[in-house]
Amino acid sequence: MTLQQKTLQRYRLLFPNQPLREVSACTGIQITRVFRLFNGKVMKVGELEAFERAINAKLSENPSYAKLTNIVEDASSLLTNEELSKLAEYIARKVSAKSFSRGYLKSTYESAIIA
Amino acid sequence: MKGLSSLERIILECLGKQNLAYEEIQIQTGLHENVCFNVLQALVIRGLVTTDGIRYKITESLSPLMLEEINGHDAKEAESLEMIEAVLEQRSGRVFRFQKIAMDSRDEKIFLAMLSNLESFLNDAHKKSHNTVPMKERKVVFWGMGEVKNLMNQIVMGN
Repeated sequence: MTLQQKTLQRYRLLFPNQPLREVSACTGIQITRVFRLFNGKVMKVGELEAFERAINAKLSENPSYAKLTNIVEDASSLLTNEELSKLAEYIARKVSAKSFSRGYLKSTYESAIIA
Repeated sequence: MKGLSSLERIILECLGKQNLAYEEIQIQTGLHENVCFNVLQALVIRGLVTTDGIRYKITESLSPLMLEEINGHDAKEAESLEMIEAVLEQRSGRVFRFQKIAMDSRDEKIFLAMLSNLESFLNDAHKKSHNTVPMKERKVVFWGMGEVKNLMNQIVMGN
């Protein structure tokens, strides 16, 4: 998966039902361009940054996210490789279980386009 | 992620040596339709399960490398933790006891003998009912014991 696809996927996971006009307002990218990007047109760096900014703004609303990133920094300097591996495995399992319960990305794109 | 998630293993255990349709797997595991479908697709993509489009079965010739990945110590440990955590987080009907017990060596021997009896009982119960009780209604049971001093050292040392 390319960086662009990953970014759009993360965006859609955070804003699953956002219509294209709201994506446009949120990112500052024209609505027709947003439509094209969701349909596979290659992004410019500025557009990628706009999506990343929107994602980071959304994540920063969640206090637990900041807590997690802070503790990960501490963990990376204090814990052994084996302990870090166990933590990574634990998080990977949580993510995997969650991803099984989600619908396919394609359908959320479609719902956004319809909206 | 190493090994299998608990969801993937439930489906593999449900399949066993059988050749089942999606609806049968879904009914036997009790997983939500969408989740069951996603997990099955993940297993097919990983090559652990094969399908003719209607029925699913476990791939017959899994490589030793694949078997080690599925049944390796680390994978099993992570999976056990996942299940134990789920038991701890159960909102209703939770059965869980955790205590620090003062036990002399005689009582410890008695306790270990009782655990051995318990294991025999559980094995017999499983043997008796595994053909009639579907996967979704089976019970997750675990036990363990350790000495406080050793466990504390292990927590501090992190291994």
